[in-house]
Amino acid sequence: MAITEKELEELFEKMPKKMEKNRRKHIMIKNGELESQAIEANTRTVPGVITNRGCAYAGCKGVVLGPIKDMIHITHGPIGCAFYTWGARRNKAKTEENVKNFMNYAFSTNMQEKDIVFGGEKKLAAMIDEVVDMFHPNAITISATCPVGLIGDDINAVAKAAQERHGIQVLAFSCEGYKGVSQSAGHHIANNNLMANVIGTGDMEKAPGKYSINILGEYNIGGDSWEIERFLKEIGYNIVCVMTGDGAWEHIRNAHVADLNLVQCHRSINYIAEKIQTKYGTPWLKVNFVGVQSTIKSLRDMATYFDDPELTKKTEEVIERELARVQPVIDQYAKICNNKTAFCFVGGSRGHHYQGLFRELGIETVLAGYEFAHRDDYEGREVIPDIKTDADSKNIPDFQVEPDPSRFHLRMSPEKMEELKQKIPLGDYAGMNLEMKDGDLIVDDLNHFETEEFIKLLQPDIFASGIKDKYVVQKMGIPAKQLHSYDYSGPYAGFNGAVNFARDVSMAFASPTWNYITPPWKTAPLLEGEFGEGGKA
Amino acid sequence: MSRKIEGVKNVNENPCNMCMPMGGILALKGIEQTMVVLHGSQGCSTYMRRHISQHFNEPIDVGSSSLNEKGTIYGGEKNLKQAFNNILRVYHPQMIGVLTTCLAETIGEDVERIAAEYLRENKLNYPIVTAPTPGYGGSHAEGYFFTVRRIVEGLAKKAEKNYKINIFVSNISPADIREIKRILDLMQVRYTLCPDFSDTLDRPYVRPYTKIPEGGTKLADIAEMSGALATVQMGMTVDESISPGEYLREEFGVPLYTIPIPIGLENTDIFIKLLQELTGGVIPLSLQNERGRLVDAMIDSHKYNFEGRSAIFGEPELVYALAGACIENGIMPLVVATGSKNSTLCTLVQDLSAEKGLDFIPEIVTESDFKEIRGLSVAKGVNVAIGHSDGHYLEEQENIPLVRLGFPIHDRIGGQRILSVGYTGTAMFLDRVTNTLLAAKQKSYRQTMYNKFYRGKEKSEVAKYELLRV
Repeated sequence: MAITEKELEELFEKMPKKMEKNRRKHIMIKNGELESQAIEANTRTVPGVITNRGCAYAGCKGVVLGPIKDMIHITHGPIGCAFYTWGARRNKAKTEENVKNFMNYAFSTNMQEKDIVFGGEKKLAAMIDEVVDMFHPNAITISATCPVGLIGDDINAVAKAAQERHGIQVLAFSCEGYKGVSQSAGHHIANNNLMANVIGTGDMEKAPGKYSINILGEYNIGGDSWEIERFLKEIGYNIVCVMTGDGAWEHIRNAHVADLNLVQCHRSINYIAEKIQTKYGTPWLKVNFVGVQSTIKSLRDMATYFDDPELTKKTEEVIERELARVQPVIDQYAKICNNKTAFCFVGGSRGHHYQGLFRELGIETVLAGYEFAHRDDYEGREVIPDIKTDADSKNIPDFQVEPDPSRFHLRMSPEKMEELKQKIPLGDYAGMNLEMKDGDLIVDDLNHFETEEFIKLLQPDIFASGIKDKYVVQKMGIPAKQLHSYDYSGPYAGFNGAVNFARDVSMAFASPTWNYITPPWKTAPLLEGEFGEGGKA
Repeated sequence: MSRKIEGVKNVNENPCNMCMPMGGILALKGIEQTMVVLHGSQGCSTYMRRHISQHFNEPIDVGSSSLNEKGTIYGGEKNLKQAFNNILRVYHPQMIGVLTTCLAETIGEDVERIAAEYLRENKLNYPIVTAPTPGYGGSHAEGYFFTVRRIVEGLAKKAEKNYKINIFVSNISPADIREIKRILDLMQVRYTLCPDFSDTLDRPYVRPYTKIPEGGTKLADIAEMSGALATVQMGMTVDESISPGEYLREEFGVPLYTIPIPIGLENTDIFIKLLQELTGGVIPLSLQNERGRLVDAMIDSHKYNFEGRSAIFGEPELVYALAGACIENGIMPLVVATGSKNSTLCTLVQDLSAEKGLDFIPEIVTESDFKEIRGLSVAKGVNVAIGHSDGHYLEEQENIPLVRLGFPIHDRIGGQRILSVGYTGTAMFLDRVTNTLLAAKQKSYRQTMYNKFYRGKEKSEVAKYELLRV
């Protein structure tokens, strides 16, 4: 069932004036007949609506830097921020030979009132000395929290001095929580610094072998990256580094040698993908390893890029074998899932990626959106020139890169590039909206009020989002699937991940639990008529 | 440059506590039809909602004034007022609680003035309670009590004597709060319990879904706390400056009785005896039987328990009550730790140890982190840890089993249902600890025996002899 313009109008009428004016621009019903349909994104959240968005620190330390396992990540600030990003995202990391692993640790300067008054630089510097003494990390990051910028602690100077003192890299990230409008600002800040100071500082001059790639924007939630790497390695790809799931500073430094960058989460990492291309000549390819068909398409796109009969043959072999293995299992689960509808509201790429996997199970996504995406994640990269830069986006310094005099080289002729661009999403992302059907709802920065209202109107069978709205949805009698942390499950990417996801979603539908919601002394039809949460009752 | 400041540790490695507004949210969630707004970056409210949700498995709606760079320069007044507008319109709460964050406090926002101005501008007679809770001002434990105090300061009015008893609970589980209410009802006490998040943070499944859950301490009851017969506050470790009971005593002359959380036989006895003295009522037979059953349980388990050597960590108030409960069962607390700054806890536990004639003094550490707790636990030979989920490294990496209790519980389900207060709750707590000790013993029994007694073929005669002596 689709939502009508009238129903949407009624919803807007329930909002306070200012909120309504704002939210109108972030909510749209897909209409493919229009030449273009613009949505507003990456603008300030209305205060007081219950948003799912986080802050710049969350995007920088929590998302991009946190998974790099061999660096010590120091949170400079009062204790809360370090605590809240401690293992909370389920980005898994395993210990490799000769690579350190600090994934289980949270480090904070635990600033107190006196540090706010007198400054926290000395404490930070002393703390760096302590962690170096104790852990001998190869590199350190310092992430700033709100008070740091306000009291004027110069974390860059502290980092520089510590770097000289200890002879290891110490990077400072000014990702104070108030920067930008969401965690997206933090991704950008993290990307800039990694690009400026880490990527390309390794000694490798040449790719370690044929088909060398980096996987960008994959954070190994619940082991996703391990599943992806499993079949990529089998096909014959050499994975130079993953940014940043189960990633290592040691490896990221050599990212410049790869011949192709895969971009999984476009939002959080596209800055690096673009800049590597400018500086080292490595093209990037938008991939999606969520869902069997999307995975297969991504593998074929990669084979097309490398254009090698041997690789193509191996790719098809793996696809055929994996498909024969997983498809019958998925088909069984699809019987449970068939003809159901879903809401899919996640961060910056999963709101899009999971739609394909849902479709394979026979579940239609009727509402989708992103927490912190930009317009290009909805409408495709072609809108980038049209995006107005506002005060909030200007606050994040964009730095320019030049082709590296010794390490830049073209991976192919410009003609060949152009030819490939016609076939595969090379350096391009067409956005989420393209994948959605007419009449579907697209909502940017969905808030709790709207969540409830849209559930009443559309009554989806499953709601895919995060823990903050999970319990609202479940209390409305609808199963929820956490797509940030996977409800302690996973992996969900790749072939095995699709099976896991199909199983978990089927469990949500088939669990006997839902049969007991209505007490025996209340008859079901009466309940629907009298107590239904509105809308359809 | 000197590398170290002697004796001072600058790094907090794996924190044992959270920040002030976190505790403030929990307190406000215990007030009837209340919405909370955090004045600061929206990350604060998102992170805290996420963690509270995970513990209680409940929706946690907390608004944010979503301050950004502009707000930090020109002040966040406009944002906060807009947040009030939207929350009033969409949620229709009966009260709004405003907590500040690092950001708001660092730029010097006066939320009390902003709230008052908002009400004046909109000609509203409406309760907005404010609590300055910067992350650097203390831990979530202090944030909790301070916010409760601010709620009472904001709502309590001069009232007629009403002969009720005020009960201020510390951050215990919804199940614990329900148990305390059950005991109060059994004792036929008329009371106002605050904050009461027993329903709001553990709400039954009912249709239709409401944005703000039913339950919580009634605003009208808080208003009349000033006329109560007495205040009973579970807050032995709570500083006067953040004590709600102290406020009622100073401002309205309500006598204050400070007691430990009733976990453990003696701590529960203190609570029951105090209620009896205050009300002159009788202790019903059923409650006396509960005590009898607890004592029976303690006797049944005493040998197992006396093998326990515990590390207790978490919020100061909880840690103190647990130390008492452990000592009376011989589960000697070798390490007592909190992430909060609290010198009272040290004194209290030292006094308790002396009073009980312990032949050792527990290692008491405040402003601690899990590096320290883990190190001390290993060094002291601890064999059971009691505290919140972040002690799971003790279990995973040091093989010290963890009995989960307190806040947050994020790697297990049901933090909201863990019952540990009163005689019955104490028996349940004790069983959890005893069974954990037993499970550890049974799991390693063969290995322990092998390591201890098996000395190879040639020494098998000796081993046999030693086994006979066991």
